[in-house]
This record gives sequence, structure tokens and C-alpha cells, in this order.
Amino acid sequence: MMQRHTSLSANIVQFCRFLRTKNFSLGVEEETAILTALQCINYQNKDVFRVALKTLCCRSRQQLKEFDALFTQYWKELAEAVDAKIKTQQQQSAKSTAKDASFKSLKAWLNGNKSDEQEEVASYSVNENLSKKNFADVTGDEMEELMRTIKALSRRLAAQINRRYEKENRINLPDLRRTLRKNMRRGGELLELAFKKPKQNRTKLVVICDVSRSMELYAAFLLQFMYAFQHVYKRTETFAFSTSLQHITQLLKQHDFTAAMRLLGDKNEGWSGGTRIGKSLSAFVKDYANRYLDKKSIVIIMSDGWDTGDIELLQQSMQTIQYKSKKVIWLNPLAGYADYKPHVAGMKAALPFTTVFAPVHNAESLKSLSKWL
Amino acid sequence: MIQLNDIKQMLLQQGYITDDSVVMSVYLSLQLNKPLLIEGPAGVGKTEIAKVMAKALQTELIRLQCYEGLDATHALYEWNYQRQLLHLKMTEHADQTIDEKEQTIFGDTFLMKRPLLQAITQNKKTVLLIDEIDRSDEEFESFLLEVLSEWQITIPEIGTIRASNIPQVILTGNRTRELSEALRRRCLYLYIDYPDFEKEYLIVKSRNKDIDAKLAEQVTRFMQQLRTMKLEKTPGIAETLDWATALAALHIDHLDKDIIGQTLGVIVKDWRDTRNVQMSLSELMEKTGIISKIDVA
Repeated sequence: MMQRHTSLSANIVQFCRFLRTKNFSLGVEEETAILTALQCINYQNKDVFRVALKTLCCRSRQQLKEFDALFTQYWKELAEAVDAKIKTQQQQSAKSTAKDASFKSLKAWLNGNKSDEQEEVASYSVNENLSKKNFADVTGDEMEELMRTIKALSRRLAAQINRRYEKENRINLPDLRRTLRKNMRRGGELLELAFKKPKQNRTKLVVICDVSRSMELYAAFLLQFMYAFQHVYKRTETFAFSTSLQHITQLLKQHDFTAAMRLLGDKNEGWSGGTRIGKSLSAFVKDYANRYLDKKSIVIIMSDGWDTGDIELLQQSMQTIQYKSKKVIWLNPLAGYADYKPHVAGMKAALPFTTVFAPVHNAESLKSLSKWL
Repeated sequence: MIQLNDIKQMLLQQGYITDDSVVMSVYLSLQLNKPLLIEGPAGVGKTEIAKVMAKALQTELIRLQCYEGLDATHALYEWNYQRQLLHLKMTEHADQTIDEKEQTIFGDTFLMKRPLLQAITQNKKTVLLIDEIDRSDEEFESFLLEVLSEWQITIPEIGTIRASNIPQVILTGNRTRELSEALRRRCLYLYIDYPDFEKEYLIVKSRNKDIDAKLAEQVTRFMQQLRTMKLEKTPGIAETLDWATALAALHIDHLDKDIIGQTLGVIVKDWRDTRNVQMSLSELMEKTGIISKIDVA
């Protein structure tokens, strides 16, 4: 440990504070480690000094990428004898106004521009804020990060397991009942142990997503969510509708999301058009309900409820769907707004037949989906 | 005291071609006795660092391979239940009190040490490799935090075992799952990316001493070009080395379309990729400079 308060140690502490404002998580422990480490390297050599600090300060790839620029910036400012007190970071006010920008970024991301992919979130708080941000307000910069959150989320959701157990050969939870039964023939001497593990969830999911114009801002995220979710949770059937219904499970099974989206686009000139919820749901009831719905299946409908079609048809279809399935969950992006009331005719008609009505406007709300599953 | 240059030499001697950031990370992790978390795509030599370190420090490498569902028992210790029972059966009529019997069956003979316990009970400082930590569950990661900070393990029947020598820990991962902030903070972080041409060429040359210089260059260029393609599974250095070895074994001194086609399976491990690469082989070869337009004409 450096005992004296030298200019170097003061600078290191200052530098750490500077990095903290850039979302590096550096505490006293790290500062101590840096000072200890400096004793065993030749810090007169600037390159060695930089690489050492880099190794000690960075905790993720993103930080590694940013470090060199920050390092140069800090020491340059110091050399220029600028007041080294760190100004509070300027509020990032780069709120993209054009919604096209976000789609441009989405497109770049989908095209597998992996090298530029923002791979790490610097700190927890950033993630937290973003997951509470309405999908409609997400700027281009935040798109990639949100997409990753959604991916991780779908993985976690799919991993939900239920409380029943099934047989397993690996050493895990002991299964007393089967152990005793197995060993009865030896007079009850417990030579062989049997194990069990939580049973995989057998719930079937049917997801029906509205991709009409009014849902345009949300559909991109929801499709991404469905795509990611379907890849980890095998018992999922997906449908999309605007003016007509389409079964897209197979399409989403494409290895590559871009390819899947392209195929979807090719087949649907009518996408992002008006909404015929009633017609689409009745098509679902007619063609798919018998095959995919039973008392173990949960139906998730993601739509804002704006319907330009037959309301009575919507009511009838909802009734059948509710009757045939275990649960109907209606996720509405608009319900995220504080003063939202489901006054739209379509929504009003559908509400009596839904078990759960919940918002789906940000990553946080997708997370709470697990409550209903 | 080991110096920075010693580490570089040490890694070089073991045939590990490296750069400053790797050397610095290894050096500081040794000096500060901190775990080193290494991330990067598959096949860039993350695990290799642990092996090389163990060799260079002339110590044992203990490896814990992580997977989904890995739990504490698999990582720490287990009692050999069957053996304990048999032992009890065999000594049923021996003149031993119950206490004595219990002492024997909960002794070293029946304790199966798993990697973590092994690592902390060695007489010498070991290198503990916790491979693909991101594949394990979050619960296991949290459990690991405790072991890594306390360096002691409690076995109810025996008591607490404190580490006689704190091992040098290397954790690797390739981002299957985001690791927790807590784990990151306890480690030094290193990201290893695909190597540039010079580095990869050196690696190929150093690992295959008798490889033809021209072939080594062609192989490296081809691989560098291949990685710019959009592939499902981008080949790493491991693939380059396998390929170079295979080609050298076949006594080939230069690449051509047929040879690449026939040996593609060594470097491309996904059928979609194979198809894509086959289709764009001519273009790839031209970009690599293996054939020029004049040759084709």
C-alpha cells in the first residue's frame, strides 16, 4: 500500500472517480488494487501504465473498448492543467425524434452487425431505466441493448418450471418414494438411490400478435420477443394478424431473424394495414383452435384493441377461445400509460373474456409476464 | 519476484503467442492473487491460457467444466454412498462402537473430492480452471462467489476445510449468459478476440514447426477472410491449427479449390456454413490471393 498521499495516488483516485461517471463500477477496493499493482510494474512507461490500468478498471468488453479514449482524455485534460474536478456528466439528451431512426438501428442490428453490437451494459442502473422505458420512446442507441434484454428475458421466462417432479438419473434431489420401492427386494437396505428433478413445464402457449399500423412501434419488439421465446420454449405456436391471420411458427423457426422477417414481409403486403381483430380471431378459432387449444394451453393476445371490423365476431371468437383454453392473457401496449382506459370498442368487447389484462409497453412489463404463466 | 517480461517469456516458451493485454492480465492476476475472467469467442485460446499457466508455474491444472444444472455437490465433494454401505455391511460383526464406525465412514477414504475441494486441499498452489462459467446456473455462480472469497468449504460431517494454498483461478466464458456484476467485480477481466493476420501466422508457424511457409501464409489469409463472412459458427484459432496440421500431414504445400473443398469439414462445423462457403469459395480464394484473375483465365 502506498502510505503517503502522493500526486500519483491522488491522480489514480481522481481517475477512478472520472471513470465512475462513465459507468465504470470502481470502488475503494479497486482503487486499492490499482495502487498495489502499481508498485510491481514499471509505471514510468506510459504504455505499461495504460495497459495495467485498463486491466484493473475494465469489467466488460464494452469498457475495454471505451477505456483507451477515456484514458487519453483524462490525462490530456490533466496535462493541460484544467481543473481536474469532474464535471457531472452531461445529460444525454440525444433523444431521437424521428422514429425512423430507431427502425434503422433495428435493421442494422437484425442484419447481424455483430461486431458493432453493444455487448455489455455498463451498470445495473442503465439497464433498469431502459427496461422501464416505453417501447415507443426507445432511441436508436438503446435499441440493441433492449433487444438483448428481451432475448435474455425470453430465456428466463421459458425456464420457468413447475412444482411437479419427474425421474432423473443424475444426482439431484433424492426421491424417497422411489428409493424405497427400488430397494424393497433387498429387504429394505437402501443400496440404490433414486433421484428426481422438477418436471418440465407442459404448458402450451399460443401467442397471437397484432402487427397492424397502430401497433407498428411495438410490433418490432414483440416479434423479436416471440422469435426469441419460441426458440427457447418449444411448445409455442405463434400467429400474427392485421387484416388477416397468419400462422408464423414455422417462419419464426428460421435460424436467422432477418431471414424470418424477410419471409414474413414477402408474404404479407397487408401488414401494417388496418386491424380486423374479430375476423382474424374467428379464423384462428375455425382453423387452429381445435388443434392447438386445450385446457393446458395459455393464449396470449398482444394488441391495442383498435378494431375496424365486426365487433360481434370478435366477441364470439373470444368466447370460444376462453372456453377452450386455460387462460387468455391480453397484453396491451397502451395500457402502460397511466390514464389509459379500455374504451375502444374492440377492447371493451374482448375484456369480459380475458383472464388477465396487462400492459406490454416495456421490457419490465414483459418480465412480469411470468406472473401469469 | 516475477516481472512482466518473465510472464511474456513464460507464455512464449509454452508456445503461446500473445499481446500486451494478455501478459498484463496474467501478471496482475498472479501479483494481486485475483481470479482472471476471460471472455471471447470460441476457439481463441481462452482455456489454453490456464493450461499454459499451469505448465509455466509447474503446477497442476484442476478443471471444473460448467454446464446447466451443475450444483455444489458436483463442484465440491460427494460421499461415496455405496462404498460406505458396503463397508458397514462388511464390518457388521466387528467390535466397534457406533461412534468409531461413524468416524471411519466419514473419513477421507469415502470422500470423493470434486474440483473445488481438490484445488484448495493441494499442498502446492494450483491453477483452477472454471471453464464456461456462463453455462452454469445463476445459483451456482452465487455459490462460487462465496467459495472464491472465503476459500473455505464446510463439510457438515468433518468441519470446515480452509485452503492451504489459494489457487490461481481462471474463469472462461463466451457470453451464453450475462455474468453477474458481483462476479465481474471480484475478477480481473480479459477479452480475447480473433487474432490479426500477423499473430495468427505466428501461432500457426510456432505450433507446426515443419509447415511450409507459403502454406502457412495461405491458410492464415484464408481463415482471416473466412471470418469476415457471416457464419453461424465462426472458426477460431483451434480450427486454423487443426487445418494446418491436417494439410501438413497430407504433404500439401499450397491451397487450391479442390483441397479446400475436401478439407472444409476441419474448419467449418455447420451445414449452412458449409453450403455458404462452398458457394462463395471462388470469391473467397480470390480475395485471399490464392488464385488471381489471371490464373483463372
